[in-house]
Order: sequence, then structure tokens, then C-alpha cells
Amino acid sequence: MSFKPDEITLMAYVYGELEGEEKEKVEEYLSTHEDARAEIENLQTLRKMMGSVKDKEVIAPPIFVGDNKPSFNWNSPYLKTILSIAASLLLIILVGKATNTQINYSGGELKISFGEVVKPKETTQQVASLTPEQVQQMINASVSQNNSAIQANWQASQQALDASIKKNLMANSGKIDKLVHEASNASKDQIQQYVAGLQSENAKLVKDYFQLTSTDQKKYIEDLLVDFAKYMQQQRTSDMQVVQSRLNSLEKNTSVFKQETEQILSSIITNGGNATTSKEARNNY
Amino acid sequence: MTETLLDIAMMHSDALIQRAKQGDQNAQGRLVQLWYKRIYNFAYKFFQDHDLAMEASQKTFISMCRSLNGLQDVARFKSWLYKIAVNYCREETRKKKGNRSFSFETVWNRDAEDSPNWESSSQRIDNPEKQLMQSELSDILQSALMTLNHEQREVVIMKEYEGLKFREIAEILGISENTVKSRMYYGLDGLKKILEKRNITKETIGYEL
Repeated sequence: MSFKPDEITLMAYVYGELEGEEKEKVEEYLSTHEDARAEIENLQTLRKMMGSVKDKEVIAPPIFVGDNKPSFNWNSPYLKTILSIAASLLLIILVGKATNTQINYSGGELKISFGEVVKPKETTQQVASLTPEQVQQMINASVSQNNSAIQANWQASQQALDASIKKNLMANSGKIDKLVHEASNASKDQIQQYVAGLQSENAKLVKDYFQLTSTDQKKYIEDLLVDFAKYMQQQRTSDMQVVQSRLNSLEKNTSVFKQETEQILSSIITNGGNATTSKEARNNY
Repeated sequence: MTETLLDIAMMHSDALIQRAKQGDQNAQGRLVQLWYKRIYNFAYKFFQDHDLAMEASQKTFISMCRSLNGLQDVARFKSWLYKIAVNYCREETRKKKGNRSFSFETVWNRDAEDSPNWESSSQRIDNPEKQLMQSELSDILQSALMTLNHEQREVVIMKEYEGLKFREIAEILGISENTVKSRMYYGLDGLKKILEKRNITKETIGYEL
């Protein structure tokens, strides 16, 4: 068990401010640790002793807080603003009264004046005496003149525009046709060239390849033949050697046999008595 | 702490605080009557001095009446009030040349220890004299309390005598709950050591505390 309550947990436990799992943990720890239990007991004893300090009786002196009347609050920000606005309005009214300010609004004009209102002079003199019909005629004439001028202008510009558009179209279509033609021609030639190039290149490549392979093959076959010839030669010489050695050994054998026969013959000739035994011996041999 | 009528009244003073907050002087007066004893005793245990304790508590309540309408949460009144009290206690401590915590040797009255009274009180005795012994023990404890530094002293008094929760103390002092518990632990440890040094234990005091 690794849990060991620190002083903080212990304090909370002693004063009953520990709950749930933590409390159980501490109690479990205390049940197995004698010394910790003794410490808790000491603390409880100390608390009991401290309990002997009793409260002192005391009589509360009267406490007057004179300046804490629920008085009108001059410090309220709204009140200040409202009061200042009211004061400035009053000032404006008083000044207006003193200077005898007059403000008038009539017929689309605002008039501010100090003192008496001065009536402005009437300035309604007629400059010329044109009748409404004349004016109408003049207006009509100028309007129609204007209209015709605009019409003419417009037509002229329309025509010019049309002409230029047509010209442009013609020129452009010719150009485009030519360009397309050129482009198609050029491309045909190019393709032909390209294909021819490709073909010749291919042919060359294939030829080269065949040439290369044929020479290689030739060389290889030559090598093969030479090797085979060499091998055959070797085989023959070795065979010859074998035959030679066989012949030699045969020769040797016959010479030995010859000598023996000679010997036997001579011995038969020299001592006839022993002829039978030597014959036997030879048979045995 | 046995619950007296006063305690119950203190528990259910929300409406009163609300009225006091709105400037009802009568309610403010009632509030002072309700809490004066607690704050005075807190300050008294802190200073071990009646005059200083009276001064600090009066300042606390004057301040309370003045700034009550700034209190946001009525349920926090208790910790708010103790916060003011702690601040005034600290201020008084600073004024009195900072060092109101004496070493136990200077506070301890050696003559009293040698006197016959002390001799008898350290033995097991019967009821008539137990009263005397208790008051002696109380004096010793109070002096022992003064040897703690003021940070530990505040916490020990608030927890042990004012019955505040660790959470509330943390709020009053503006520190973490763990710091409060740690201070409490070392405060108690300090007291225990002093009492052990004086050979005051469960056995010498008697079982029926």
C-alpha cells in the first residue's frame, strides 16, 4: 500500500471535511498504522485542550455611522448628464431672451436675427416680356433642330460603322482562309517528311540489327566449329595413345611368351626326363 | 461549539443583511449586536489585548456599515466580514511595530509556574479545583497561540474558535485551501510542541476535559 496521507489530507480528516473515497483511504491507512493513529489522537486531544479557551463576553458599543444616510446620490452619472443638459438649455434660452433673438422659418427660408425683424425688399422685377407661346415656339424649334442634327449624325456614323465592319470581315475571312490553307499544306508536307524519316530510320535500325546479329552468329558458329574440331583432335590422339599402349603391351606379352616357349623347348631338348613335369608346370601356369 | 440562540440568529440573518444593505440603520445596529462578540473574540485571541481587540472590532464594524451596499452576495457576508476583521488586525499589528508575536519564554510567567497553584494544577484533582485548572490551561494556550506567527495564528483561530470551513478561510485570506490546511497543520504542530515542552499532555491534564 503506497498511500500515505499528507498533512493537508490529515487536516481535512481531523476537521471532518474529507468525504468519500479519500476518507475511506485515510481510515484504511489509520487502521494499519499505529503511529498515524497516535498522531490523530494527539491532535484531537490538543483540540480538546484548546476548547478550554472560552469566548470572552463583550458588550457591543453603539456604532454610529453618521455619514451613511441614504441620501440623494449626486454621483450618479446619469443624473449628472441630464442636469448638465438641462442647465445648458436654460442658458441658451436666457441668452436668447437677453439678445432678443428671433428665429423665423417661412417660405423655405430660415431667418435668424437679433432685435427687430428686417423685412427683405421685394425683388420680383420682370426682365423681359416674352409671351408663353413665343417661348414654347423657341423651345420647339430648338428641340426639332437638335433632333434632326442628332438623326443625321447617327445615320452617318451608322453607315460608316457598317462599311468598316464589312471591310474588316472580308479582310479577316480572306486572311483566315489563307492561314488555314497554309497551315494545312505545311502540315501535310511535314507529316510526309516525318513519316519518311521514321521509315528510313526504322529500316536502318532493322538492318543494323540484323547485320550485327548475323556477324555475331557467324562468329559464334565459327568458334563452335573450331572448338569441336579441337575436341575431336584431342579425342583422336588420346584414342591413338590408348591403341598404341595396347599394342605395346600385346607385343610385350607375345615376346615374353616367345621366350618362355623357347626356354621350355630348350629344356625339353636338354633333359627329356623332366619334360612331363615342365609340361605340367606350364599347364598349371 | 454549542449552538446558542445567538448562533442561530446569525445563521438566519440574510433578510437582516439585505435590509442593512439598503441602508436601514436599525438593521445595521442589529447586525453589529449579532456579530460583535465573534469579531471581538477573534481579535482578542489574535492580539491577547482587550484594547487592541476593541479597536480592531470597532473599525471592522464601522467599515462594514459603510461598505455594506457594495456587498455582492449576501451569502458571503460571513467571510466578507472576517476579511475586513483580518485586514484591520493586520493593520494594527503593523502599527504596533510589526512584532506582536513573542517568544514563549517572554510570555511565559515563570513565577506562576513555581507557585503552589501551578504545582497543584499539574496533578489530577477533583472538580472544585478543576475550574481553576481550566482557566490556567486557557491562559497557557492563549500565550502559546501568541508564539505562532500571525499567518498560522489567523488560521488556527478561524478554524478552531470561529468554526469556519477551510474553504471559507481560503476565501477570506485569498490563498489556496491547501495552504490554509498546511498553515493549520504547522500551527497545531507548534502548539503541541510548546505544550509538550511544558509537559502538558493528556495524562497531566486529566481525562475529563
